[in-house]
Amino acid sequence: MRLVAVDACGREAGLRMDQTLSDARALFPDLDVFDHDPAADAVLLLAIAAWCDRYTPLVALDRSCQSDGSAAAVHCAGLLLDITGCSHLFGGEEVMLLDVVGRLRAAGLMASAAIADTPGAAWAFARYSDRQIITSGDHQRHLLDLPLISLRLDMPMLDMLKKLGLRTIGCIADLPRAPLAARFGNGLLQRLDQALGRQEEAISPRLPVPELSSERVFAEPIILQDDIERTVGQLAGHLRQRFDERQLGARALELKLFRVDGHVACVRVRAASPVYSIDRIVMLFRERIAGFHDDLEAGFGFDLVRLNVLESEARQSEQGDLTGGSMRGEGFSNLVDKLGARLGTDRVQRFVAAGTHIPERSFGLLPEASCGKKDAGAQAVLWRQDNHGHEGDGPAVLTRPVILFERPEQVEAIAEVPDGPPVRFRWRRTLYRIERSEGPERIACEWWRDGRGGHSRDYFRVEDDQGYRFWMFRLGLFERETGNPKWFMHGIFA
Amino acid sequence: MQKTRVLQRLETLQEAVAKIDGRHASFARRNRSRGHNDGSVVDFDIAAIDGVFEGGFPAFALHEVRCSLTRDIGAATGFLAGLLAGCMQQRQGRIVWICDPACRLDGGQLFPAGLAMFGLDPARLVVVQPVDLKAALWASDEAAKCQELAGVIFQVKGNPRNFDMTATRRLMLKAQQNGQFIAILRQGGEEEANAAATRWHVRAQPSTVDPDIQRGIGLLRLNLVLERNRHGQTGHWTIAWNQKTHGFEHAPTNYVDRPALSSDRSDGAPQMGQVMAFERAS
Repeated sequence: MRLVAVDACGREAGLRMDQTLSDARALFPDLDVFDHDPAADAVLLLAIAAWCDRYTPLVALDRSCQSDGSAAAVHCAGLLLDITGCSHLFGGEEVMLLDVVGRLRAAGLMASAAIADTPGAAWAFARYSDRQIITSGDHQRHLLDLPLISLRLDMPMLDMLKKLGLRTIGCIADLPRAPLAARFGNGLLQRLDQALGRQEEAISPRLPVPELSSERVFAEPIILQDDIERTVGQLAGHLRQRFDERQLGARALELKLFRVDGHVACVRVRAASPVYSIDRIVMLFRERIAGFHDDLEAGFGFDLVRLNVLESEARQSEQGDLTGGSMRGEGFSNLVDKLGARLGTDRVQRFVAAGTHIPERSFGLLPEASCGKKDAGAQAVLWRQDNHGHEGDGPAVLTRPVILFERPEQVEAIAEVPDGPPVRFRWRRTLYRIERSEGPERIACEWWRDGRGGHSRDYFRVEDDQGYRFWMFRLGLFERETGNPKWFMHGIFA
Repeated sequence: MQKTRVLQRLETLQEAVAKIDGRHASFARRNRSRGHNDGSVVDFDIAAIDGVFEGGFPAFALHEVRCSLTRDIGAATGFLAGLLAGCMQQRQGRIVWICDPACRLDGGQLFPAGLAMFGLDPARLVVVQPVDLKAALWASDEAAKCQELAGVIFQVKGNPRNFDMTATRRLMLKAQQNGQFIAILRQGGEEEANAAATRWHVRAQPSTVDPDIQRGIGLLRLNLVLERNRHGQTGHWTIAWNQKTHGFEHAPTNYVDRPALSSDRSDGAPQMGQVMAFERAS
């Protein structure tokens, strides 16, 4: 067992990372030791990353190191923030850096941070240097004094370089490139170039950047739900101008509430049609928050509220009529939005047809909010064709039940002949005597989905002596597919 | 000239009466739009049923369709689908079908292909499945407020306490204001006083004899009991769904196509008393 992390006191006392536990215990018998929990570390890092969204939308988890749980990996854990164009909002780079470190320290986290031109250089300065802010263009000069480990190299390569007497970045920065590449591969040169800014390095942000965003910082944290709603209204008002300029509306919106203690609550809503009016946006969030079974945990309040537009869409060119009535279709999509926001968008659904004959698979329910208007037209045609097919020269009776059981329910049935209709059956503890029956209607199994050995279904429409009409099927063809076919109840006719 | 003035006067008076007495609102509207039918009044095309509705069956109102047993839900849904399809012919717009979660447990789910056979386009339906009854009641209230909807169906199991006179009266008022067909589909529930304009009790009935197939299923018959009617008398009929004409037709109950069976008992009534042999007289 080895030490993977040591706090400041331990370091002063002479403990090192990668030391064996027995050595450390030998030095300090009353040492406090905790198990290393990489999963919990990752969760904490993610939470800090979510909190860092208050500074910039581009927050990346540092993935330059292998995450195998080793001491080196723990040391590498960090966040990269692209603060291009953000620092002036916080009063300059210096103030911003102090703010980040100070707030994290207040939360009980020891953080070291650095600002530099390239991600590689910032990585190196944050870990291996006391310099915190490297003015633009200076990073190449300052990097030369840092040890090679600050180039994000793996251990075997570092050992090899050490044996050759190369210890600082300055040692290799001016060496001829071709022999270096021949000896150490491209990795070393790539890391060197990335740190020095000779090669572009992109960070991959944790979240997609919202199309539009509006935020408000509070000196005094807000707690009440009314205040949150009012804030949403103000933020939506800011966005409204941008929407109008581009003739857009939002399909998906996200409200981020940054709590004072660092927790970030996120509320997302979806709209059935592009929304841009302040009232509708406020209504969506009001219903969504009301739909939560427990309130937003406000704690000591939220000090930053941000409204992001995740998806937007061009407004439909519908005009209101001259009599001052509301726009056509507005009322309905408003209703769908409202129901979807309160109950969840996946609970407000529409039927869509699917190309299969197996009854329970022949249709699906899709969220109304995610269907465009074009889909609706196509679906309507599909059903109507289906309908006409039966109307023309079809049977004079209904061939499909109005009620279908999602999972066919097995019944105990007795048939006169093994491949004939049932004579009586017991379903849900009630015995039914069948008077009349029609069938079979054979629906073969879908071998491309169920694979070999699937059973065909023989559907029968049966009516019992009291007039109840059911849709039953026998699973498996007698003697050909199974010796003992089972009966299932699948639907109820009118 | 004189005549039109009289008609106008009559109209304003009728409107005033309708305003005072909310229940005749649909009646007044029908009179006003006698020339062009706006879909507010529907005919069953069955003389016996149309006869009991003074001023026609009001489509823009709250109705209730109930069945006493869960297995009757097919019959009730079928009747409602046919009724809805009839009411929706004149009206554009979507239909919201709100399903109380308790119904789904044993009542199965709607099958769009089956609904399409009753002439109801499944693409017009919006199915709402809230997590609990409270949310379902809220959803029905919201849906009734929306003026662009053609209809709202609220499927409920049994007789929940929250769904009382006040809640139904609110639905009824909104149905009349917004011109909507609102229906309660009560699965396995008791008779209950509420504000609905009509209440139908539906039960499956043995079908007619199929002339082509021996032991085949003929026209589907339903036993309808109009338990409550605010605009006229109540009554009971047997109707049959005719897939060829796409409509309900009156199926008189007096002919006997299945003699040995009583319609509501699985076995014949037990014989009263004792069978005894008398001594021969001669």
